[in-house]
Amino acid sequence: MKRATAAPLLMLGAALAFFAAFFLAPFAVVIFASLTNSADQSFTLDHYIKVLADQYHWDVILVTFRIAALTTLVSLLLGYPLAWYLVRVVKWRAWRRACVILLVVPMFTSNIVRSFGWMVLLGRNGLVNQSLVGSGLVDSPVRFLGTELGILIGMVYILLPFIVLAAGNALAQVDPAYEQASSDLGASPRATFFHVLLPLTLPGIISGSIMVFTLAASAYVTPALLSGGRISVLSMLIFQQYSSVFDFNYGGALSVVLLIFTLIMVGLAGRVGNIRGDRP
Amino acid sequence: MKPKITNPITGALLLAGCISTQPAWAAPQEKLTVALYGGNWGEAFLGCVAEPFTKATGIAVAAEVGTSTTTLAKLQQQKAKPTIDVAWMDGGISELAYAAGVLDDLDPASIPNLANVQDKALYRDADHLFAVGSGYYSLGLTYNTQEIKQAPTSWKDLWRPEYAGAITIPSPANSAGVPFVFFLADVWGVDPANLAPLYSKLAALDTALYFDSSGAASNAFQSGEAIIGAHFSVGAWDLIDKGAPIAFTLPSEGAWATDTRLHLIKNGPNNAAARRFIDTALTKEASACLASKLYLGPAVKDVTVADDVARKLPWGVGGSIDSLKLFDWSRINARRADVTNDWNRQVTGKQ
Repeated sequence: MKRATAAPLLMLGAALAFFAAFFLAPFAVVIFASLTNSADQSFTLDHYIKVLADQYHWDVILVTFRIAALTTLVSLLLGYPLAWYLVRVVKWRAWRRACVILLVVPMFTSNIVRSFGWMVLLGRNGLVNQSLVGSGLVDSPVRFLGTELGILIGMVYILLPFIVLAAGNALAQVDPAYEQASSDLGASPRATFFHVLLPLTLPGIISGSIMVFTLAASAYVTPALLSGGRISVLSMLIFQQYSSVFDFNYGGALSVVLLIFTLIMVGLAGRVGNIRGDRP
Repeated sequence: MKPKITNPITGALLLAGCISTQPAWAAPQEKLTVALYGGNWGEAFLGCVAEPFTKATGIAVAAEVGTSTTTLAKLQQQKAKPTIDVAWMDGGISELAYAAGVLDDLDPASIPNLANVQDKALYRDADHLFAVGSGYYSLGLTYNTQEIKQAPTSWKDLWRPEYAGAITIPSPANSAGVPFVFFLADVWGVDPANLAPLYSKLAALDTALYFDSSGAASNAFQSGEAIIGAHFSVGAWDLIDKGAPIAFTLPSEGAWATDTRLHLIKNGPNNAAARRFIDTALTKEASACLASKLYLGPAVKDVTVADDVARKLPWGVGGSIDSLKLFDWSRINARRADVTNDWNRQVTGKQ
């Protein structure tokens, strides 16, 4: 009996210790810096006022969350059908496995390498523009790098697997008998999807979306490389303060603002999930 | 059975004997930790300085790889008990490190080769000699020779309409970003105290990208994303040597330049060996070696290099340290925050 309670406690303790050492402690340092004056370490809210009273920062926050929201939406629109295909359509196991491997393998490579890859593909002389110009769709190369569209393409590519895996997992747990029952009772495939399948997989969609959204809102490497410094997102402003200006107080305040805004968005998404989930 | 040393005086004498017969740097188990950059820079530092040092002293050198800013961050964290003995850091960060109190004074008595260094490369604050230059590099005008047949002669050529959309200059996140703003102010005759007119000029410049890292600039020139812009001499010559259709020029207004510097870390674990290491780095041989590998302009006097290397040095053919536009870093560091903020709002924000 004693052993049965000791093991979970031990496992929980290890996770908590790890969390405390590698998240809470560094984060406390950041919060402390954001609330103190660099000259005499006295308490001040100046850095937060500087961040929040400036229209420029609101513009950057808007761009950051617009990119994150669009990344989530596009990943969902591409990822859900893909997950559905993998779970419901593919009958041959080896092919399904191959698809999942194809989906996951890019995650073994660093974001930097993959973003550089997109820089080559999306460049003025890149493959995408060569095909567009070659096929006569456009007259001159389209500008992707340094635009929100370019960042969006890179982010969706990197974050798509999270949605597919989360939605696929949720889909796999739905018994196909529900869908069959729905159509037996005369529901159209459309109605079956919106009234049966979608509500049942909503928790998976929400958790996948939260993962993608938070990763997209805090991403640094992909926006930094694909924006070419022409568009700023919050993480880039934070990096600037820490690496070039060395103002850890102002940089800390920016970091905390990013975290709080992300938590608010995630909280809202969680509520959406609850409301839908509670409905009979 | 081991002989026991019971008499404390005998013990002390034995100990003293060990110290006096063996110079401090020759202890075989000693290991010197040197902070340096990654990539071809780090390889050159290790090959040109660390190897001859280890050969002469038997002391192994452990490299602590990182950019100047990372090294400074590490030094600040381990201020109480540093593990780094010697650090290479760029101009600008060097002054910040000195202000952070992590640097020890360089003493000409224990580093005799300091006497061979150009006076400009000895960085002093009152009577503290806190850094010594280890080689100059510049941020020159770089262009694609396939796309641009006639060599540009002025920085103002960047604003020519035919280059629109294919220009690159450093962003403020790059170590050259903030000083480059002051350099361009000089080119356009803008008063550095009020940079607003320059920001509107920069906002009108249709860039492909503002580069954060030298690697991003190299990548942009190599892929043709950028056909003209600013690039570091070290990165540009590396591309040229690899056969890329790139040229590196010093326009009529000259080029902004800076240097990489050597620093002795305060309370470092192997202080004596660290001094010896810096002394090795300041030999003519090490300096010529860095010049031939990275085309770093030697800070050591009377270094001779091959003609092909000489034309690739940051000051070009027939130039010297005096032809470089070296800025006062303390002035630039003081304006770092407001130039970065204004850039965000008035240059990036206006794209």
